[in-house]
Order: sequence, then C-alpha cells, then structure tokens
Amino acid sequence: MPADIDTLAREQLAQVLRDRPDPTSLDLGEDLVETYGLTSLNKVLFLTSLCKAAEVGLESFTEDDLAGMRTLGDVVDALRPHADQKG
Amino acid sequence: MMTESIVNRIIAERPNHDGALTVAGLGHRRRMPLSELHDRARAVAGALGRNGIREGDRIGVLAANRLEWVLLDLAALMLKAQTAGFEPGKFTPDAELVERYDLDLLYTDVPVPGGAPATVRPIAEIAGHADEDPPELGNLLWEPGECTTVKFTSGSTGIPKGLEATAASVDSSLRDVQGIFGHRPGDDVLVFLPLSLLQQRYWLYSALRWGHDITITTFQSVFAVMPAVEPTVVMGVPAFFDTAKRHIEGRLADGVDSSKAAAELFGSRIRYLWTGSAPADQAMLRFFNEAGLPIFEGYGLNETCIATKNHPGAHREGSVGKALPGKEILIGDDGVVRVRSDHPVNTAYTYAPPGESERMFKLGGVVRTGDLGHLDDDGFLYIHGRADDLIVLDNGKKVIVRPVETRFRDTGAVAECVLYCPAQTELVAVVSPPPGPVDAEAITAALEAVNAASEPDERIARVITADEPFTIDNGLLTSQFKPIRKRIHERYRARIDDPKEGIHAR
Repeated sequence: MPADIDTLAREQLAQVLRDRPDPTSLDLGEDLVETYGLTSLNKVLFLTSLCKAAEVGLESFTEDDLAGMRTLGDVVDALRPHADQKG
Repeated sequence: MMTESIVNRIIAERPNHDGALTVAGLGHRRRMPLSELHDRARAVAGALGRNGIREGDRIGVLAANRLEWVLLDLAALMLKAQTAGFEPGKFTPDAELVERYDLDLLYTDVPVPGGAPATVRPIAEIAGHADEDPPELGNLLWEPGECTTVKFTSGSTGIPKGLEATAASVDSSLRDVQGIFGHRPGDDVLVFLPLSLLQQRYWLYSALRWGHDITITTFQSVFAVMPAVEPTVVMGVPAFFDTAKRHIEGRLADGVDSSKAAAELFGSRIRYLWTGSAPADQAMLRFFNEAGLPIFEGYGLNETCIATKNHPGAHREGSVGKALPGKEILIGDDGVVRVRSDHPVNTAYTYAPPGESERMFKLGGVVRTGDLGHLDDDGFLYIHGRADDLIVLDNGKKVIVRPVETRFRDTGAVAECVLYCPAQTELVAVVSPPPGPVDAEAITAALEAVNAASEPDERIARVITADEPFTIDNGLLTSQFKPIRKRIHERYRARIDDPKEGIHAR
C-alpha cells in the first residue's frame, strides 16, 4: 500500500531536483517550471516515477493533462482520484 | 555509384515484411503493420490528388509528431509532391507562411487562425482520408536530383533558411547508415524529435525498406513511452541523454544497480543509442558506454546531412567518427571542416538572404561547415568548436572557447556555459544554472577547478549566473539545445561589461 499521495509527490519531486531538497520544504502551490526549474523532460520523468511509486497507471494521463500540471498541488490533485480508486 | 533508389522502392512497393509502426504518447498507443500504413498512405495520396495536389506541388506540415504526419509524408512522396516540415511552436499557420514558402496546402494541428487561406487545413482530416480504399496510383518515380522535401535551418536569428533535399542525398544517407548499423527485423527505433526534421523521417523510410519497427512519440512523452515499448535504438540530442544520465545517477544513489536503473528508463532491449546535432559531453558518453548502453556520436549539418558517425565497427572516444562512404572530410588551412558529398543535399538554399548560399556551398559538392576540427591518422574527425567561437585576446593569443565551456559544464555545477571577452584578456562566462536553487558555492568551486585545469590564457576571470536556465522558450537555446551566443550576450551585456559583476576567480 503506497504512502499518501502528497508525501510521495514531494519525495519524487525532490529526487528529480538537482540539489535533492528536503521533501517537506517543497511548496504545493509553487510553479514547477518557474520555481523549481523542472524541464519538460524532467516533468515527465517525475510523473513516471510518481505513478510507479503510487501504483497508478501512467496511461491514466494524457499530454494535455501533463501540460495542465503546473504545480505540485496540481499533480497531487490529478493523481489522487486514481490512487483512491485503488483503495 | 548509386544503385536502386530506396525512396522509389518504399513508395512503389507495399512492404511484405512484418515491420510495424507504433505511435505512442501519454495515455495512448497504436500499433500498425507497415503494410497497412502503406495502404493508408496511398488512400491519403488519392484524397490529396482529388484535392488538386500534383507532382511538383508543395505540402506544408506544421504539427507535433503523430500518425497523420507520417501518412502525409508518405502520400506526398507517392505523388511526387514536396513536403515542407515546420517545427511546432516556431511558425504560425497563416497566409504569410503559405505565401513565403509557396505552399499549395498546409496541414496543422494548431487551431487555424481566422482569415487564414483555405489552403490551411486541420491535420486531423487526414485520418478520415486514410480510412478510404486505397486507389491504384501511377508509377511516379523520383529522379536523383529532384527534391523530396524542404527543410528549414534552426538558425539563431532571422527568418529560417529553406533547403531542398535531393532524393539522391536521402538515398545515400539511408544506405550509408544501414551499412554501419544493420537495422533489421526485431529492431525498434524510437523517434521523439520533431518529424519536421528530415533525419527523423529517415527512420520511417529505413523501417519500410529493411523491415524493422519504428516507434514515434513526442518530446513530452518520451520518458513515459520508452520503458513501455522497449526500443532497441533511441536517437536523441545530447541534452536528452544528459537528463537521462542524471536520472539514472539518482537511482544509483538510491542503491539500484546500473543495468536495472538503465532498463527502468530505456527498457531492456537497447542495442545502441544515437546522438548528434550538438556537442556531447565525454562524461555523458562514457557513462552510457560503461552502463552497457553503447552510445555513438556523429556529425553533420542540415546542409550536409549525416557526414561522420561512430558505430560498432569504428568508434573512437572524443571523435565524431569517420566519414560515411558517400562523404569526404576536408580540413582547410584555416582549420575549418569541409564536407564533400557524392550526392549533395543541394548546392544552394531555396530561401535565404543574398550571399548565404555562397558562404556555405562550394563547388564540387563541398560545404564549408564553419566548424574547426582535425582528422587523426585513421580518419576519425574531432570537432573543436565553431570558427566564429574563436576569441582573439588583446595579447594575440587565440582561445577556442568550446573546450573551456565544456570543462565548466562537465563539473556538473552548471547546465551551460558561454564565454565572452569584454575587455583585453578577461574571459567572462555566463552560466545557465541547473534546475533548482542556484548554488553559488558549487559554481565558485567549479570555477576554481576549471581554471586549475586550463591554460593561462583560457582562465575565466568572472562568472555571471543567468537569472534563469537557458531554454528554447526563453530564446537562449536553439531547438537543437545549443546556446545562442549572440542572444545571451544581448541579455546579459550590462553584467558582462561591468567588471564588478559576478563571481570572481581567486
């Protein structure tokens, strides 16, 4: 059973950031690109890793969904319904 | 000597092998035998013909990678119509584009702007045509000197130059690449760079001819698609492999072993990785080779197509490989690399300001690349940098900036580094920070390390840390991820010229 989606998302984002910040220091409302410097390649790597950790199928999301995930909060909101379905 | 034309063969013959095309992205994947693709392309050709497209017409495509792009390209080849591939995000599908590049039709995946001429069409309508019964098409064949497509240079300034590519040059490149890599049934070549780049479409032609698979995806989806489709060959620019390397290194730090970490990202079937288009860091190349994923760097410009390539049969670290059979590398007295082709891409640009063609194209199928380089005794080519990247200091010493810039990048403290010489002998670096908060201490340490490893004239006096990473979106990288020296200088001129600015070397 994966940990809660918020914690997982913070951990996975911290992993793709170069300086590996403390996951709890990441702000759910900050822009992933402008604040955290996430490139488009790293963004999909982050989502891939997070889906794997959360046991959510990556096929649940489209490129448009990915484009709409601007903040960590957006990512958490997008994954939560799928993670909840898994119970 | 050219023998059978590959272009003509793939349009005339429905494939009788088991090769397949997969088009995949986040949330979708579709696999289609190449024989079915051929049928569908003929159906699209029939529809285009009904809409008045004839031999010699030109069809523009301004769209992200998708099945319809592939169908249009093949259909155009079947009709002997030219394609003009426009890189998504760089052009607007309006009357000006249609007029400027003499387009008879323009298909696009972006909303067609109001007032656009009727020749601008949504690319989605191609899917409908592809479902029709394929008609019998006439036996149209390309002559060697006829041009199948127009490509556009991703120049740093101004209107992109247009360059038409001859059928013979396409055949020659396909044949030469097949000769050194031997793609075969069971191979699956992954394409994620824009199909507007002719070289990406080569893999489609190669699959049709030699019966291997091809998977087409987008830049945005590639890391999600790779482990699912398990390609055997991945072609990417160095920046892509740099990102992959950092990710794998992160996994190694978590205690995952290197072959597992690599397989998690690339799948478990990789035969080799292909890179080019921009200088690759030796540390990155070594990393993949040591992880059991052979990576081969090559060299070529739009104007020459692929000219040299490392490959399993001839590979030397630090070089960009030997000349392909149809190419010859000539180094002038000025140290500038020239490429002679048996079958030149062309001998002039189609759309370019006066003088541009003469500067690039020389007699006898020779292109003056503008890159500095040398050949070793065995014919391996080494690129040192651009001729215009040479800084002459006030003391008369010449500094080729690229090796110094690469040294700085290799420290890992910065993503990019560009050197300038604002005064006398003072070298100033503008560095693009890696993602995340700027680590001034790491940059200072990197500066000291780079200077310790450099000749006295190569030493960097100051480092200006850019306000944001160089990206394609902010106009500081080309679509091939090369820093645009002139624009970076314009953006940071005040700080480059101010001797008080930046991190100073000790």
